[in-house]
Amino acid sequence: MKYKCAFSGSGGQGAALMAKLTCLACITESKQVVMTQTYGVEQRGGDSTGFVVISDEAIGNPIVENDANVAVAMSESIYQATLDGVRKGGTLFVNSSMVKNEVERPGVKQVHLPVSEMAQELGNVRVANIIMLGAVVSATGMLKADSIAGALTDILTQKKKDKLVDINIQALNKGVEAAEKEVCK
Amino acid sequence: MKETLFLKNTEAFAESMIRCGIRGHFAYPITPATDVMKYTARKLPEVGGRMVQMESELAVSNALAGYACAGKLGATSTSGPGMTLMQEAIGFMAAGELPCIMLDAMRVGPGDGDIIGAQSTYYQATRGGAHGDYRVIVLAPSCGQEIVELMPVGIKLSLTYRNPVLFVVDGVTCQMTETTTFDDPYDYTADFDTSDWSYTGADDHSKRFLLTGSYTHEQGYEMNERMRRKYEEITEKEQRWEQVEVDDAEVLVVAFGIHGRMCKDLVANFRNEGKRVGFIRPISLWPFPNKAFENIPSSVKSILVVEMNHGQMVDDVRLAVNGRVPVHFLGKTGGDIPMCTLAEMSCEVSKLLEGE
Amino acid sequence: MQTLADYYGETLKFDKLYNYCPGCGHGIVTRLVVETIEALGIREKTMSVVGIGCGGFSHHYMNVDAIEAIHGRSPATAIGYKVALPDHVVFTYQGDGDTSAIGLHEIMHAANRGMPITCIMVNNSVFGMTGGQMSPTTIPGQVTTTTATGRDVDIHGHPLLVPEMMRAMNGVAYLARESVVDAKSINKAAKSIRKAFECQIKGLGFSFVEVISPCPTGLHLKVPDAYEFAAKETLSYFKPQVFKNALENNDEV
Repeated sequence: MKYKCAFSGSGGQGAALMAKLTCLACITESKQVVMTQTYGVEQRGGDSTGFVVISDEAIGNPIVENDANVAVAMSESIYQATLDGVRKGGTLFVNSSMVKNEVERPGVKQVHLPVSEMAQELGNVRVANIIMLGAVVSATGMLKADSIAGALTDILTQKKKDKLVDINIQALNKGVEAAEKEVCK
Repeated sequence: MKETLFLKNTEAFAESMIRCGIRGHFAYPITPATDVMKYTARKLPEVGGRMVQMESELAVSNALAGYACAGKLGATSTSGPGMTLMQEAIGFMAAGELPCIMLDAMRVGPGDGDIIGAQSTYYQATRGGAHGDYRVIVLAPSCGQEIVELMPVGIKLSLTYRNPVLFVVDGVTCQMTETTTFDDPYDYTADFDTSDWSYTGADDHSKRFLLTGSYTHEQGYEMNERMRRKYEEITEKEQRWEQVEVDDAEVLVVAFGIHGRMCKDLVANFRNEGKRVGFIRPISLWPFPNKAFENIPSSVKSILVVEMNHGQMVDDVRLAVNGRVPVHFLGKTGGDIPMCTLAEMSCEVSKLLEGE
Repeated sequence: MQTLADYYGETLKFDKLYNYCPGCGHGIVTRLVVETIEALGIREKTMSVVGIGCGGFSHHYMNVDAIEAIHGRSPATAIGYKVALPDHVVFTYQGDGDTSAIGLHEIMHAANRGMPITCIMVNNSVFGMTGGQMSPTTIPGQVTTTTATGRDVDIHGHPLLVPEMMRAMNGVAYLARESVVDAKSINKAAKSIRKAFECQIKGLGFSFVEVISPCPTGLHLKVPDAYEFAAKETLSYFKPQVFKNALENNDEV
């Protein structure tokens, strides 16, 4: 199975981290993965997108060229561009806490989750990206949530931020549950 | 035991050269090659090696020559303007038959150009920017895994033929992060005895000196004839390429590096539609894989060369094909997306299939 | 019969036709370097990295391994070699054009890096090999083939004082300017060259000796006149002196 993902957000929302965690989880699951960053965009301040291609075999085209089948829009300002980058049959996960004006696009399924508000309920708005990532892997079946949890724990331990592990794992689980509810709807 | 790491491809280059036994890395910061020296500065001391940051690429390349004179295989990594500054010393090392490993993280030129990736240094890499009839062995990996697989190959070529070996990787590929699987460390340089030529002091040998000039015209002629024989041997023995679905192809795509790997998807997509498209991906750019084009089947009615430049390798393809089949070109350099997309490549191939 | 080789030992080589012009100061400087290598017993592990210019011939008279480097780049080449073989003795032998025109960049950074290598700069105030053109160390008013009415400092600047530029660099362990214009000066130059090599062997840092040397051919002067010109005119601008000597500090410790 091959996935082409685009994780988009505004500065500080951790879109690049979502991409990186996805990649590290792929190693755990012995999948091939390539990550590229948006070209021509500042890394801080503005909007950014982390592109990830996942495959069970060697990856040919490493570039996500408006053919993502799994995409995330964390903020209003990047919503339209991200939606345009999804192929027909693909799914866009939208942070409905930030994106207020939904645009219909035939052939693209949109899953709305208020992840910023959910993160605030957990006590730290900065884990909104992790909630969203939990929802993405759960709804698509692209990776196991356990693999993401493992990658999260590794990264936080390396950065000596062990005390943040619990809240991040809670966030991941919350995302998984939210997606299960959303899919059942 | 194999180990899979998630590294930027510049880092994969650094990691693989360390694992393959290179202990001396000379460099000067330049985007997008800087990540190599950041990595080796941290990692080489752990294995008794050293990254030496020099004052310019001129100094880098000459220090690399000095290091090679001691019979040791060193490395450098640079990009665009830095590669241009190194040309003189590369010509010197070729003339002095000094081995070394180099990386050109290719970016947009000319002049200061742009830091974004390109394949615009194909001419410079394969033809060289220094004076004289010299050659540099040029390898063009298309992904992180291939960088790792070609590192031992490059080291063996460099030490077997006593010649500089240059890896060319477009900056886009350099800055990608991907899963790369490494073998256990193995010192490939140790398989080569350099004591019969290296300049290690007149202790166990009578005086040796490195001369890239000549004291008589006859001596200059002999040097060039010796080099000519070596280059002919390399051309005969060391052509490398990958070819897929060539046997019955109507349209053949030729591309190296990132466009080469994109051909895998391109050809698979067309074959799924029952359309006969194949590709040839040169891996050694010098020697150019002319052999891949010697027996292209009669079914091939056109060839499309795709590059991240305005048409450089296409010259070599035309020379190899020698007028037997029309050779078309698709390419660009610079921009937010500095390469041709798969969609653009597909569109061009479709036109050729329809005979446009 | 005693031969010169018996007298000078293994380091001096006589099998090569002598390339220096009659009266050239290079012959003296080359001999001083050879005597130093012989006296220190380091011939087997010494590498000579020569520049482009007449100084490039110097290694032909030395029974040591050598690299004929690219014009101006021998300090960088020497550093690469020293990284590979830190226990070996590496020196560059360069002219004023090689050191201070095309190679100023490399020599300054080599000095500042402080890696223990030795650089000998033979300053004869002209590009000798190409027939006597102005170099950065040509003195004001000196006539050369490219300064027909003498060096004009308004256009070409003043002569470059290389050791003075290195003086403040902490990595420089031995720094001197000497000359070979007369017997007394030659004796002093011999001492400085020896100390420069000793600094390297002791790992104290970078060592540099500039040697003022006459070029009768490039100056278009008879040999005695060329020596007189160097002694009077050149030395009036380039003052011989020992700027730094880490061996003294080292001995005190």
